[in-house]
Amino acid sequence: MKIKGFLKDVTGAMRVTNARRNLIAEASGDNLYKDPIRELCAELHPEATHVRVARVEDASPTARTYTFEPVGGDVLPPFQAGQYASFDLQIGETITTRPFSISSAPYEARTGEVPFFQITVRTARPSEGFVAPWFYENVKAGDEFTCHLPHGFFFYEPLRDAKRVVALAGGSGITPFASMAAEIAHGTLDCDLTILYGSVSPDDVILGGKLAQIAASCDRVKMVNVFSGKDVELPEGAEAGFITADLIAKYTEGVPSDGGTSYFVCGPLAMYDFVSGELDKLGVPFRRVRMEVFGAPRDVYKAEGYPADFEPRTLSLTVRRGLDEQVIPAASTEPLAVAMERAGIKNRTRCRSGACGYCRCYVAEGEFFVPAVGDGRRFSDKQYGYVHACSTYPLTDMVIEVPII
Amino acid sequence: MAFYKDKYDVIVIGGALAGMSCAMKLASEGKDVLILERHNLPGGIATSFSRSGIEMEATLHEMMSIGPEDDPLFIREYLDEMGVKINWLRVPEAYRLVSPEDGIDITLHPGRRADGTWVCADEIDAVYPGTKGEINKLLELCLSVYNSVLYMNEHHVSKIKTLLEHEALAKTAGYTGAEVMDSYVSLPSVVKKILSAYWIYVGQPISTLPFTIFAFLLTDYFKGGSFVARGFSHEMGVAMAERCRELGVQYEYCQHVEKILVKDGRVYGVRTARGDEIHCDYIASAPYPNVAYGEMIEPQSEVPEIARKYANAMPMSVSTFSVVLLLEGEPEDLNIHDYSVFSSETAFDTDKFWAQGTTLGPWDYLTTICLNYANPEGVPKGMTSLSITNLPLPECFFGVTADTYQETRRRVAKQMIDQVSARLGVNLLDYVIDIEYETPVSVAHFPGNYRGGIYGYQHSMDNSVVGRLEDFERDQYIKGLVGCASHQLVGDGMACNINNGKIAAKAILTWMQEAK
Repeated sequence: MKIKGFLKDVTGAMRVTNARRNLIAEASGDNLYKDPIRELCAELHPEATHVRVARVEDASPTARTYTFEPVGGDVLPPFQAGQYASFDLQIGETITTRPFSISSAPYEARTGEVPFFQITVRTARPSEGFVAPWFYENVKAGDEFTCHLPHGFFFYEPLRDAKRVVALAGGSGITPFASMAAEIAHGTLDCDLTILYGSVSPDDVILGGKLAQIAASCDRVKMVNVFSGKDVELPEGAEAGFITADLIAKYTEGVPSDGGTSYFVCGPLAMYDFVSGELDKLGVPFRRVRMEVFGAPRDVYKAEGYPADFEPRTLSLTVRRGLDEQVIPAASTEPLAVAMERAGIKNRTRCRSGACGYCRCYVAEGEFFVPAVGDGRRFSDKQYGYVHACSTYPLTDMVIEVPII
Repeated sequence: MAFYKDKYDVIVIGGALAGMSCAMKLASEGKDVLILERHNLPGGIATSFSRSGIEMEATLHEMMSIGPEDDPLFIREYLDEMGVKINWLRVPEAYRLVSPEDGIDITLHPGRRADGTWVCADEIDAVYPGTKGEINKLLELCLSVYNSVLYMNEHHVSKIKTLLEHEALAKTAGYTGAEVMDSYVSLPSVVKKILSAYWIYVGQPISTLPFTIFAFLLTDYFKGGSFVARGFSHEMGVAMAERCRELGVQYEYCQHVEKILVKDGRVYGVRTARGDEIHCDYIASAPYPNVAYGEMIEPQSEVPEIARKYANAMPMSVSTFSVVLLLEGEPEDLNIHDYSVFSSETAFDTDKFWAQGTTLGPWDYLTTICLNYANPEGVPKGMTSLSITNLPLPECFFGVTADTYQETRRRVAKQMIDQVSARLGVNLLDYVIDIEYETPVSVAHFPGNYRGGIYGYQHSMDNSVVGRLEDFERDQYIKGLVGCASHQLVGDGMACNINNGKIAAKAILTWMQEAK
């Protein structure tokens, strides 16, 4: 192309238009629609997975392990050890969801004749809320559920975490580590795991047998029980007291705590504050500590920033879904999501800790409180009045807009 | 009470930037509009996410066509006109391009002086003396094309008038960016490489990218600079959703439209996955024509053969692969000193980079964005928010299975992090607080785009924007149905999609007028 010729060329627009018309005219007139990326996505992130309880086994005197197999032609998606499944539940008039960390190994959901996954549920403690005891007492082999998985960010990430992982677990917080341990033993998770598991007494230990077995057969997994109860007869290899800096240091000897180890914490809320302090003493950098979200606070009035002297009360919650409007009662002590569930209004929750944002909704009117711990709201959502219903507590009558589920 | 009205004037499928732009425009003309969005967030890919209370941009995001408040470009003007308020922050530089094999390491800034010369021309001239005259000449040509494109965006222009009054556009329309740079000006190859760095923002090699688009891109960024929102890209979504609400648009989240209902060649409604059948006269559709014609139109017998030909003909543009990192330490501690760096591992060659995008790497051309330098308040003290991005074609993921997905994305990400680490002389993997990946699958999962595409169809010489503009009416195959996303006329990018939405609204308003 010569410069002069180029500047005189005024037929370009027609040329590219004709080229485009030809491109269309010469294409196939058949329906060739296919989307391999969407197919892959559907396998990785199914909208819902239908499962049946294959069997129920005791995991301790107060906990049971439930094995789920897919039904109706569904396929279990791959997940990462430490992630959770969210179950759709109907308990009386209440519809709700609950996240349960998967206690079985990822490979078991993708291999073998009948792929499966397991959750382990503990009961009999007031702090476990109302769903876990219901689950423990009522769910039996053959029951079918709709669940959603995988969810959550509590897993070993090789591009982020140190190869040496110390798990600090309390109570039913052991379940994600059981999954990790089994995956390591299977040779499909490349890290070393030392589990420091705090319980009151040996009777409280969940999945103790399974973990002991893994630790005995795999030198990359080490398991240490730590008992805080008075007059506990210590089994061999167990420690007495709490998971303190000294205890952590004892089991990470030779590995620098200032970056060479990642600490994964999962347990009751009270444990988090304590353990954070102990890790600070060891000089563990922020990036080496990972804490699993663990539910909304049971006593919201104790949360930092909650208005002083606010008497618990029942408020009016107007729930708008499209053009529909429903007025329901809402207890100031419970999140908006729970008020909707009690009224039978479907509401898409997953983590139930304020983090994941699946239950994001719009506040048209009213005052509310969101605990700072676990607040996963985006900057602009805060400015424009969007909240996560599972972690938002009403302080006045409110009007909210939620998706039509 | 029912959730929906019996009938709407317009249903917008997809509440991303294009959909909301379309809805705002229609509502501001008094139309009754319903937006159905499958995700629980507005904005589509213009979004952010939060981990442990820290918010991060989902991928490489910088907004063009905004310009400074006192010298606004057309999208800032349109958003102002629509009453959308966004807290814009100006990105300090245009870009830094680093290509060691070419001996290039240069940082360019936006700006055009009162005498018509460009800041970047002087900056290039300082390193490659004697080039600024030709660079200014090229940018002036680009500016003429840019102004013509903007004029045609608002006005219908006859062919004769185009030739007389939009000469630069008319005369360059048949040529690629490379052809015009090679023939219109005399510049050393290294300078042409420097001026081609933005190619990745359309994801099309310079050898096949129509000059019309090249000129628009270069002018817009070098004239007005680029911007990010203080409230991350999510602010654009919520601010526009808020304005939609104020204008009376009904916006429903978590509603996956499965079917577009058609009778006698004309749309009359949609059906959602939930089972709601909602009626309307017009539909603006974010789903690609491939999906709309391929499976959404009900009955399928209503899809004419020419519509199938169209969907099959359109060449799919790129998807994205981003590694989003939150790092311990301030950027300076990690030897990071710029907001936007394009880096080329081997000699700069957009054809080669494009071809690499059909594979899973290694990718030689990466874009590294450090948010701290544009949105300092958006990043906690002592931390660095960094993303590394390439825009490969969706097909690079076709061989990935559900069981190899995690391993694959980590392998690709590590490759990218290692490349950037080597350039910085700092191993970024030693500082990771958190990491997230955005892949074609993430795009298919959240916004739900066809094949995880982010840029619609390729801007190639046989699918030029000039041809798209000329044949806009001709390309509408089902009455009442118009495309409303990056697969539409203007193509890719956030600003372009706001414009695509406006164009869709105007088309519907015209059809409404004609129907009267």
